[in-house]
Amino acid sequence: MREKATTLYFGPQHPGITGNMMVRLKVEGDTIVKATAEVGYLHRAFEKLMEERNWLQSFTLLCRFCVPEPDPVEESYARAVEMLEGREVPERAKYIRVMVLELARIGAFLFWYGAQASSLGLHTVGQWSIGDRNYVLDLFEALTGARIYHMYIWPGGVRRDFPEGFEEQVIKTMDYLEKRLNDYDDLLFESAIFQKRAKGIGIINKEKAIEWGVVGPPLRGCGIRHDMRIDDPYEVYDKLDFIVPTGENGDIWSRAQVRRQEIRQSIRIVRQVIDKIPKGEYYNKIPNPQKWTLPKGDAYAHTEAARGEVGFFVASDGVSTHPRRAHERGAAYVHAITLLEDLLVGANIADVSEIMFSLGTCPPEVER
Amino acid sequence: MKEIKTKIIERIKSHFQDAVERDYDYNRLDFSVKKETIPSILFYLKDEMNFKHLSHITCVDWLEEKEFEVVFILWSYTDRLQVYVRTRIDRDHPVLDNIDMIWRQANTYERELKEMYGINFTGLEAPEEFLLEDWEGPPPMRRDFDTREYAARTYYTRPGREDAQDVRETIIKRTGEELPDFAKKYKR
Repeated sequence: MREKATTLYFGPQHPGITGNMMVRLKVEGDTIVKATAEVGYLHRAFEKLMEERNWLQSFTLLCRFCVPEPDPVEESYARAVEMLEGREVPERAKYIRVMVLELARIGAFLFWYGAQASSLGLHTVGQWSIGDRNYVLDLFEALTGARIYHMYIWPGGVRRDFPEGFEEQVIKTMDYLEKRLNDYDDLLFESAIFQKRAKGIGIINKEKAIEWGVVGPPLRGCGIRHDMRIDDPYEVYDKLDFIVPTGENGDIWSRAQVRRQEIRQSIRIVRQVIDKIPKGEYYNKIPNPQKWTLPKGDAYAHTEAARGEVGFFVASDGVSTHPRRAHERGAAYVHAITLLEDLLVGANIADVSEIMFSLGTCPPEVER
Repeated sequence: MKEIKTKIIERIKSHFQDAVERDYDYNRLDFSVKKETIPSILFYLKDEMNFKHLSHITCVDWLEEKEFEVVFILWSYTDRLQVYVRTRIDRDHPVLDNIDMIWRQANTYERELKEMYGINFTGLEAPEEFLLEDWEGPPPMRRDFDTREYAARTYYTRPGREDAQDVRETIIKRTGEELPDFAKKYKR
């Protein structure tokens, strides 16, 4: 019998792919029968380079692990180092860290709005949301001096305190974004195209979701309420009041609804931080990094990023000033490979990029 | 938290005699086991003790001791507890049992460790290449792989740039500024 399946290469050069990776598809007509995720286009050997640097020098690499949302990686690394050393972080620094993480989450979700909508040809959403994300980046610029790669959270606390008038600037931006979110609801969630194409597509099996290692909005989209911010509260999340929204069906629509509600919760958290932040030190000074050795052992810290659980494993030999091993656990490591390969079987070719964006895949995080 | 930890330690110790535990003052437990025990202890933790979520698999190269330490990090959503299961394997013949039938996503981590450290997972079904393409050298994440030496041997400066000037020197010539002390050791 004649072979009916055709091989299609989706990426690495493709507007619908989330970054430098490829999905090799076997298609019969319009339906995918087999998908294989191929990575290796972006390997930068960050973890090898980190072994050649001292504990502080790695921060120039850390923010590049996942470009749209670099802060959770910095935070989990800094916290793993603190766990290993047993270093205390001042209360004010913890509040500032939470605010930075939540601003990064808002930025990442706004980025996702654009990407998810563009995968369906709704390009207006992206024009708006990337523009609005710039206001969040303005806040980062005022606070850290950089828009994308902040290198702001570091072991012992944060790099600097709030600049003058920063609180008002944050409140102003949050007010603006909150109003603006209604426009996105009208533009994206009311759109008949999005509703028709998102409902019932890319369904994650609820019973298997945890075993498959699904985390973040894709897990909560199945109706399972797990979030590291409430399961294993780090920094000061246990002192803040927020809801973790969940979906029902585990499809693209549910995941989108989870993200839509999470932005509002993040704005709520940022407001609470501004209200509750105590005065005091923001940095517990570390020794000279050139001579700074950590006790022998290892530690793993996990953070809830916009795409799910992001963690950092660090190991020290107790003698050297460099890490013996630094290894990142990215949410995309599971989402972009085993889960994606599974979800794509039976899907349409046109749905590939839509499914990828809804999982929040981030190829730089896979390859590092 | 204390009672849960004690219960887990008791049950693991009664089932796996070779397990050596270590307790931490936060929500973390460590178990060191022999490499033969790895699949059974992980399966036991997942099925009987509710550690459903595999957070991470990683490897640390202890070059001086001629051993690899492979660490499995599990998380229990019900007990809100992290469990590290670790084992040491011989660096010259690194073999470990494949666990991707327990957690599918372990397959990806194992492929990475195979490529980066040369650890052979028995029965691992995976395409040959993961991150590296046409790689013929030794596994690059091993501590004895020298990145600098490899780069110097493999890559070279593009010819025709021998007269390239140092930016610092150009600036110094133009402005009369002095080179700061810390920069002097980088002078060509």
